[in-house]
Amino acid sequence: MAETRGTILVVEDEPDIRRFLRSSLGGEGYKVVESPAGQRGALDAGLHKPDLVIVDLGLPDLDGVEVIRRIREWSPMPILVVSARTQERSKIAALDAGADDYVTKPFGVGELLARVRVALRHALRPPSGKALGLGEVTLDFEKRRATRAGAEIRLTPIEFRLLACLAKHLGMVVTHRQLLREVWGPSHAEHTHYLRIYMKQLREKLEPDPVRPRHLVTETGVGYRLLADEA
Amino acid sequence: MSWPGYRWVGYGGAAAATVAATLIGLGMRAHFELVNIAMVYLLAVVAVALRFTRAPTILTSVLSVAAFDYFFVPPSGAFSVEDPQYLVTFAMMLGVGLIISQLTSSVRARAHAQARLALEAETERIRNALLSSISHDLRTPLAVICGASSSLAARQTLDPDERSALAQSIFDHARDMSELLAKVLEMTRLQSGSIALQRDWASLGELLGAVLRRLRERLATHMVMIELPDDLPLVRVDSVLIEQVLANLLENAAKHTPPRTLIRVRAQAAGDAMTVSVEDFGPGLPDGDLDQLFGKFERGGGSHRGGMGLGLAICRAIVRLHGGTIRAERLPGRGTAFNFTLPLEPVPAIAAADCAVQSG
Repeated sequence: MAETRGTILVVEDEPDIRRFLRSSLGGEGYKVVESPAGQRGALDAGLHKPDLVIVDLGLPDLDGVEVIRRIREWSPMPILVVSARTQERSKIAALDAGADDYVTKPFGVGELLARVRVALRHALRPPSGKALGLGEVTLDFEKRRATRAGAEIRLTPIEFRLLACLAKHLGMVVTHRQLLREVWGPSHAEHTHYLRIYMKQLREKLEPDPVRPRHLVTETGVGYRLLADEA
Repeated sequence: MSWPGYRWVGYGGAAAATVAATLIGLGMRAHFELVNIAMVYLLAVVAVALRFTRAPTILTSVLSVAAFDYFFVPPSGAFSVEDPQYLVTFAMMLGVGLIISQLTSSVRARAHAQARLALEAETERIRNALLSSISHDLRTPLAVICGASSSLAARQTLDPDERSALAQSIFDHARDMSELLAKVLEMTRLQSGSIALQRDWASLGELLGAVLRRLRERLATHMVMIELPDDLPLVRVDSVLIEQVLANLLENAAKHTPPRTLIRVRAQAAGDAMTVSVEDFGPGLPDGDLDQLFGKFERGGGSHRGGMGLGLAICRAIVRLHGGTIRAERLPGRGTAFNFTLPLEPVPAIAAADCAVQSG
C-alpha cells in the first residue's frame, strides 16, 4: 500500500462526503486531492493532472456538467459522476458532456471502487476490441464471430456493431443516444425502439437467462452497460 | 367559470331560457291566467341562476319581463301596457329575479369556501399522518445508527466480527432510511403535479431485468418467476417511473410474505392495453376494502417492517399518470395479485434498410 495507485481529484462540496471518499480511496492506495467547489475543481484538474476525477453533479457554484465540459476541452482523463437516483436527465447530460460513468447516491464504497477501477483500467489500456468473454460465449470482433462452447452463434451485422460499441466502453455505461448514433447513424438518435428490439435479440442469443441478464445490463432511463467476465 | 367563452354560453343560456318560457307560456295562454305565465318566467330565471353566474341571471330577468310584456300583457304584440297594475307585476318579476340571482351566487360562494376548507383540512390531516408516519419509520433506523456508530467510536476493543456486524447494520439502516426518503420525495413530486413524463419506448422484460438486478439482495429470500409472452409489445412509458412501480410491487410482495414464497410476474397484451400482474402466494390480505391499500399510509396486515405503504400510493399515482389503472385482487386459495394496465400504442416499424445497413 506504500506506493500510490494514482491520483484522484474529488470535486464535492460536502465535507463529510469528501472525508469518507478520502479515507476509502486513500485506504485503497490512491492519492486524493479535494476541491470543495466547481470552479476550483476545473482549475485543480489542470493543476494536479489527476488520473481520474470524481465530480458531484450538485455543486453550489458551478453545474457539475460544466466542470466536465471544461475538463474535456483539454483532457481525456476519466471522469466519474456522483448523482441522485431521480436525476436521470442530468446523468445523461453529464455523460453526453464527456463523463465516463456514474454512481448513484447513496452508494457503498464497493460500488464506487469498482467503477474507479474500471475507468482507470480503461484509460490505461483501452479494450483491444479483439476478443471478449461473456460467460460461455466468446466474441471475436476481428473475425466477426460469436461462439458458445465452440459452436457458432449467428449474429447480424447490426448486432455485432451494437456489441462492438458497448465493448469499446467495456464495464461503463453507454447512453441510448450514443449507441443509436454509432450503430444506426445520427438520423436515428431518437429511435429508442430499435435498441429495445435489438437488445432483446442479443440477450436471447447470448445470455443464459435473458430476463436476468448478466452481461448486457440495462441502466434504466440512461443506457446500457456491457459487463465481461473480468470486469 | 374560468374559460373566456363561458360568459357567452351563459348569455346564450339566458336567451334560450327566455325563449323556452315564452313558448311554454304561449301554449298555456288559452287555459291559464297571466299570473301563472309570469311564474313560468320566474322558473326560467331560477334555472339560469342554478346553472350560470349572476350576469346571465339578471339578463334572464330583464328578457323575461320584456317578453312577458310583449307576448302576453294586453295589448300583446307591443311593449305598451293597458292596465298599469302590470307595471307592478314587472317590478315584482324583476325584483324576484335579482334576489334569486343574488341568493344563488352567495350560496355557491359559500359552497366553494366550504369545499376549500374541507380540502385544506384533508391536506392537513394527510400532512400530519405523513409526518407521524415518517418520524415513526425513521426512529428505528436512526436509533440503530446512533447506537452502532457510537459503540464503534467508543470501544476500541471490539473484535473484528463485532465491528463489521455493527458497520453492516449501520449501512443497512441508512440505506432503508435513504429509500424511505426517496419515496417521500417521489410522492411529493407526484402529488404536486410537477412530474412531466419522459415517455419513450420500453420493454417490460428489460425493466423487470433491471429491477431484479437492483433488488437482488432484497428478493434473495424469495423465488421470483417471470412469465412474459415472447411477442409482448413495447410500451411508450417513462421507464424510470414504471421500473419504480415494478420495484415497489416486488418489494411489497417480498416484505409481506414469508421467505421462500413464490412471487410471479406476468404480462399480457390485449386490445389497446397491456396488463401486468405481480402475484404472491403468501398468506393473502386481511378482509377489507382492497382499494384502501392504495391510500397513503396503509400497510398490509401483520407486518412490522417499515415502509408505511407509501409504495402502493406511488404505484397508483404513476400508473394513473400513464393513463392506466391498478388494483389488488385476492387470489383463489391464498395470495394476492396486484394488476396494473398500461395503454398500448402501435410500435413504429424498423425500416428494412436499417437492418441491412452497410457493415463496417
